[in-house]
Amino acid sequence: MVTGQDQPVGAGLARAVAAEGATVTTDVGPGIDALVHAAVEPLALEACRLADVDDERWWTVWEGTMRTTLALLQAVHPHLRGRAGRVVLVTPTLSMAGAPDLVPWTTALEGQRLLARSAARQWGADGITVNCVAPSAELLGVDVGELALAPPALGRAGDPETDLGPIVAWLCSTKSHFLTGVTLCADGGSWMGL
Amino acid sequence: MTAPLDGRVAVVTGAGQGVGRGIALALASAGADVVIAARRAETGEPVAAEVRARGTRGICIETDVTRRADIEAMVERTVAELGRLDVMVHNAIKPPSPHRVESVDLAQWEELSTVGVWGSLWCARTAYPHLRAGGHGRLILLTSPSGIEGSAGLPLYGPVKAAQRAMAKSLAREWGPDGITVNCVAPVAVTPALDKAFAEQPGLRARVEARTPLRRLGDPERDIGGVAVFLASDAAGFVTGQTIVCDGGSFTGL
Repeated sequence: MVTGQDQPVGAGLARAVAAEGATVTTDVGPGIDALVHAAVEPLALEACRLADVDDERWWTVWEGTMRTTLALLQAVHPHLRGRAGRVVLVTPTLSMAGAPDLVPWTTALEGQRLLARSAARQWGADGITVNCVAPSAELLGVDVGELALAPPALGRAGDPETDLGPIVAWLCSTKSHFLTGVTLCADGGSWMGL
Repeated sequence: MTAPLDGRVAVVTGAGQGVGRGIALALASAGADVVIAARRAETGEPVAAEVRARGTRGICIETDVTRRADIEAMVERTVAELGRLDVMVHNAIKPPSPHRVESVDLAQWEELSTVGVWGSLWCARTAYPHLRAGGHGRLILLTSPSGIEGSAGLPLYGPVKAAQRAMAKSLAREWGPDGITVNCVAPVAVTPALDKAFAEQPGLRARVEARTPLRRLGDPERDIGGVAVFLASDAAGFVTGQTIVCDGGSFTGL
């Protein structure tokens, strides 16, 4: 199951995992082996000074992102348990450095990343792994150049399908079974921090 | 010799007990006037009296940090009565009870999110013009080691604490040009909530102490308050966007 297939990252990841042999769905249901949560609340990408962030915007970005992620985790858990289930959250590296004028989004991203670790700790016994993959925020149309990150060592922000896709496909496969609770930074080598 | 925070005005939420009280008293000892923003005056007033006993101005303002209007009124009264606001410390937290990711209900999430994250938003947004005006504004958010490494027992607590760290990083960048620093403190200290857990689970305290490199739990005023004083002072004027873990050395992942 891949969320956000109507957005560039979700669409590219759906094509990539399909190319590796997975049947891709947009809905929760029996037979799901992996959840790739790539959907992003569009309002999250809008730059806004915190002084101008009203409660409605905060609700949409922070509560919307967190409640959607929690609801997805809760919905897929019964289908994933006991069958090497995989969860992959897509969380751009931007939040690790912090970004001015994007407080709501970066706040929600770190919330998601920690929720992945919490779920990883609790669901290890169910054979479920929960990880994050962190692309460049440029893949979502956010101009990282003016923010806090170094230029990518590999010279480009990457393509969702061909650069990010193989990593996500591997995380969804049985081969990644001993990796859980981590974030794989796949932003071309911009963020190399803690 | 002048104290490091002479003439500065600080607000501490959740200051009626535990870590918040410790920070409030440490700030007062360092010369700051302190607003005790406590949910109940019965717990807040005695701490305000302790602040005054240290020779600075201390007032208690009843504040429920789950209500934006309470925070706004508290900040307004702070500036009206004490003349300025230099240091905003958001410490209040609702101690969660153990839960599971797959079965936790939204009520539990809402409590944690409202006090921790919405409280941080409202404290930050409301304090901002005053922090900027004073020339050396400080926003300090209390987070937790579980907000870094995750928690098997309290899976929704970690995300809220991680969110506060992210907020501090982004705001540090956004407010840097205003001369405001934004940092987090992640303590493990003796608090009423922890004392309760120790009373309920015999041997827990000894186990926690045994796996802590410094072999003890933190003292709210000396160990955690001291770090808050440093962050509030001019000595930390070039430190922003950081988390200082004060847990006796248990967590070393940063």
